[in-house]
Amino acid sequence: MDTVILLALASSMLRATTPLLFAALGGLFSERSGVVNIALEGIILFGAMAAAVTTQLVEAPYLRADPTARVWFAPWLGLLAAMVLGALVAGVHALVSIRYKADQIISGTAINLMGLGIPAVVLAGLYHNTSISDPIRSRLPELSLFGIPGLSFNVLVYVAFLLVPVVWFVVFRTPFGLRLRSVGEHPEAADSLGISVTRMRYTGVMLSGVLAGLGGAYLSIGNLNQFISEMSGGRGFIALAALIFGKWHPLGVLGATLLFGAFQATEVLLGGGKLLPPTVVQSLPYVLTMLVLAGFVGRSVAPKAIGKAWNK
Amino acid sequence: MMTSVNERVALIVLALVTALAVVFAPWAAINRETGARSAVVLLPERYVDFTGRTQPVELPQQGAVFVLTIMGLAAVVAGGALPVKARRLAWLAGGLVLVVGTAWGMQRLTGSVAAAKFDAFLGEVRGAIERPRPAYDVDKLEALLAASSERDLTAGLAEADAAGLVIRRLPYTNAGVGLSAFLAVVTGAFALLFGARIFRGFGQVLDRLLRAASVPATAILLALLAAAVVILALQATPVGAGAQVGGAFDGLVGRLDTLWYAYYSMFHDSLGTVNGFAESLKFATPLIFTGLAVAFGFQAGLFNIGAPGQMVMGAIFAMLAGIYVPGPRLVVLPVAVLSAALGGGLWGALPGWLKARFGANEVINTILLNFVAASVLLFILSAGNVFAAAAVRIFVAIGVFLVLVIAALLVPTVRRASKRAPRAAFAVGAVVLLAGCVVAGLPRAGDQPITVNMPFKVPGNEPKSRPLNVGARLPQLPAVLGVTRGGVNVVRIDYAAVLALLGAVVAAFRVGRLGRLKGWTARLVGALLVGGALYGLGALVGIAGVNTAIPPTKLNLSFLIALLMAVFVHVFLFKTRWGYELRAVGLSPRAAEYGGARIGRNTIMAMAISGALAGLTATHYVLGGALEDYALRQSIPTSDGFDGIAVALLGANQPAFIVASAFLFGVLKYGGSVLNITFPDLTRDVVSMILALVVLFIAAKGFLPERLTNPLKWSVRQEPPTGGADDGVASAATSAAKTGAGASAAGVGASLREGAGEG
Repeated sequence: MDTVILLALASSMLRATTPLLFAALGGLFSERSGVVNIALEGIILFGAMAAAVTTQLVEAPYLRADPTARVWFAPWLGLLAAMVLGALVAGVHALVSIRYKADQIISGTAINLMGLGIPAVVLAGLYHNTSISDPIRSRLPELSLFGIPGLSFNVLVYVAFLLVPVVWFVVFRTPFGLRLRSVGEHPEAADSLGISVTRMRYTGVMLSGVLAGLGGAYLSIGNLNQFISEMSGGRGFIALAALIFGKWHPLGVLGATLLFGAFQATEVLLGGGKLLPPTVVQSLPYVLTMLVLAGFVGRSVAPKAIGKAWNK
Repeated sequence: MMTSVNERVALIVLALVTALAVVFAPWAAINRETGARSAVVLLPERYVDFTGRTQPVELPQQGAVFVLTIMGLAAVVAGGALPVKARRLAWLAGGLVLVVGTAWGMQRLTGSVAAAKFDAFLGEVRGAIERPRPAYDVDKLEALLAASSERDLTAGLAEADAAGLVIRRLPYTNAGVGLSAFLAVVTGAFALLFGARIFRGFGQVLDRLLRAASVPATAILLALLAAAVVILALQATPVGAGAQVGGAFDGLVGRLDTLWYAYYSMFHDSLGTVNGFAESLKFATPLIFTGLAVAFGFQAGLFNIGAPGQMVMGAIFAMLAGIYVPGPRLVVLPVAVLSAALGGGLWGALPGWLKARFGANEVINTILLNFVAASVLLFILSAGNVFAAAAVRIFVAIGVFLVLVIAALLVPTVRRASKRAPRAAFAVGAVVLLAGCVVAGLPRAGDQPITVNMPFKVPGNEPKSRPLNVGARLPQLPAVLGVTRGGVNVVRIDYAAVLALLGAVVAAFRVGRLGRLKGWTARLVGALLVGGALYGLGALVGIAGVNTAIPPTKLNLSFLIALLMAVFVHVFLFKTRWGYELRAVGLSPRAAEYGGARIGRNTIMAMAISGALAGLTATHYVLGGALEDYALRQSIPTSDGFDGIAVALLGANQPAFIVASAFLFGVLKYGGSVLNITFPDLTRDVVSMILALVVLFIAAKGFLPERLTNPLKWSVRQEPPTGGADDGVASAATSAAKTGAGASAAGVGASLREGAGEG
């Protein structure tokens, strides 16, 4: 194979990895604190919608004055909106599963269902259709990697990969990280040392919302230029699988998401090459994720208190 | 006691809200045009006209109704401050005044509106006589006018039609109750209900009822309230040209009426018209299946989010059977129904097996399988799937590999070795497979791409299958009732027989012993007695044979299959040894395993049955022709699988309640499509949002304080048990805790921990 194809494959792998990495690192915060976050999928959708809608609304008045204008700050505000809405939606999940001790999976499923229904309502109110938002003009900047032609990525791609060491440092080398992990492993012990279990769990879940929201923003205003309903396409669940496969560790998560990203990148390779019908290619990442999950799940050990409501 | 404080506060708040509504919210609408523009009246005699062309009607006795309503509300509020006995009397009296007064006032008002509508009709006729057109038969119209006092509106319209005068639009259509009248009736009903505690024994029944209904009712109420925000944000008050409205008061009235009419149209058609009722049942049918599927998993401690994928697989299998199995209906139809169950069951058993064998979390796997199933459906229904020759060779290699693996596992030594080191065996297999695929996939000279078209797909680009054989089609309800194709027919329906059948089934379940009879004899005799009595009663009331207009509907016999499945699930879970084992595993896997249950086998079986139930939705969508025709279409609404989660949770995983909650969601779904048509800016997505919120709020136990949702546990934690304080309450609470969503939800949590943690 020549270098062009290899480069294309590598860059599409990195692009496919980015949203998975954001969501999986987010899920790491939540699950390390002891709260299963199956709501990642829904939060990605909310983040994607918030980013696209905010950017569109911010740039709209400038575009009316000059249709070719680039409003540099609009996508950054969109990014902020995605993080805020992600945190809020995750906050709902946290409230229901921590304060009201709901089953965390059911609560997360409810958020995922809302991720299907609520964007449609918002789009209907703003754009008078239920499936796509108006396209935006001002996108986040692209940065070239080492000045190599053809290797240029959205700034969020770099952010995602830089987050890996940051998350590692925060979780394993700071007092905050120690507390977070202790709350997920043995909340009674943490509580007896004066750590507020509920506050740590709220923080963990809402951080996961911020990161998953970023993942959503990458999908809508980084990779594309609009929000499309159900554009997350199961990435939240694949991120969860990556979290299990990566043993709840940032480096493991990086490896797992790169693998799953590679699965999704084969889509690009096979789809373009007329090798297989697109419908078959689309289902490959899901099948491969299942196989990996079945083959390797037994080796990873979850945080001990995961999924359990905390009763003081 | 706690409950009495809650009741007093709740009722007083409700009464005060109603009092505010009487001042600020419409009492009734006298005209609603297309586009949801309305003309409304408020008590005692105030008009707000958003249509801009509705003349006021005479409002007889509404002043008296106003006084009665205020008096009733005052009695309810004042009752809250009285001692027990006087309070209940006051509530009974106030409730009676509210309900009767509102009903009476509404009857007078609708009479007056109907008269005004008839006058408007006569005005149209007069206008036609004055300015005749060639199509009009003026003599007939004049005869109609002369005899108008003997005609009602329907007859008059028909006569005018015969005379060539077609009247498309009359004012005063869709008149109906408004928000404040509704609230007055609700307040009255609750006052009556709580006041009725004065009768001995009723209090306990009420307590049990309230405890069972508090969480689901609160969840639905909260979801509807949240939807109110969306409705108000999306839909401005529709105002016609020339309407004289303005100011804060008119604005408020308009907002309240928009909101009220949105809810009214969501529920009215489904519950108030035969057509809407049938449509609601149609929407409910697949939800019963998927709700049962999810609940079955919950009962076994598994969370099956894979119902959408299982629906698709069931649909594909049903379609294959429906197209390729020849023979008479008596053979083909059962085969087709069973293959629907088989398809869904296999697709559900797969994640069950992955969990039992490898400990892979079923939540993630079922979701991933949904995406795979969607791809499979798209693949078999799309035209011109092009495979490169190498890709085909890879698939052949995978097939050969699978055959070889099965053959190898038949050799005892290999099987034992692979069992001793499963992961090593897995790794060896994977490497062999990968190498085989690479060798097979290398390009060769003379490769030709292969185009695959499924033989059962219709020619062309439309993503649907060929129509099913006639023998595999489930008849639709109008056909069962003897209505020929198309059009509305009037059929005599024996409602008493339906009632008697339902009563007999309930009796068969509830009767334990009857005098000296025991067991099945008692059940049979009880069922016969109750059924006979109900039929006799029905005949007396006059519902033994009622002429009913049957509208065209796609409601079909799969509805009966769904009800049958509810009975099956109930019997299986609660009356058989397997069901007992399944529920034991669901509640506490370790304890059950210690007791001799085989976890792995139970997991696979539960997922298979759950998947089969989801697959049976194909009886509705494919065999029942509930989509446009009797064929498999790509548009099969798989979101029903997700809605099944809401249905199961709302129904507390009990089959009977699941049927009820599926019906409620059917009403809401049909209401969503009515909303779509009625309001210019509202879509049916409002309803899907409501469903999602119901799940969230039920998970959060309605945000109710724990002393209401779990009184037993709460009291234990607050104070040491006093012993025998209130046995009735305690036992009711334990049974609620046992059967409620909480118990099964705990099981789900346990299952995830296992799946994620141990493997």
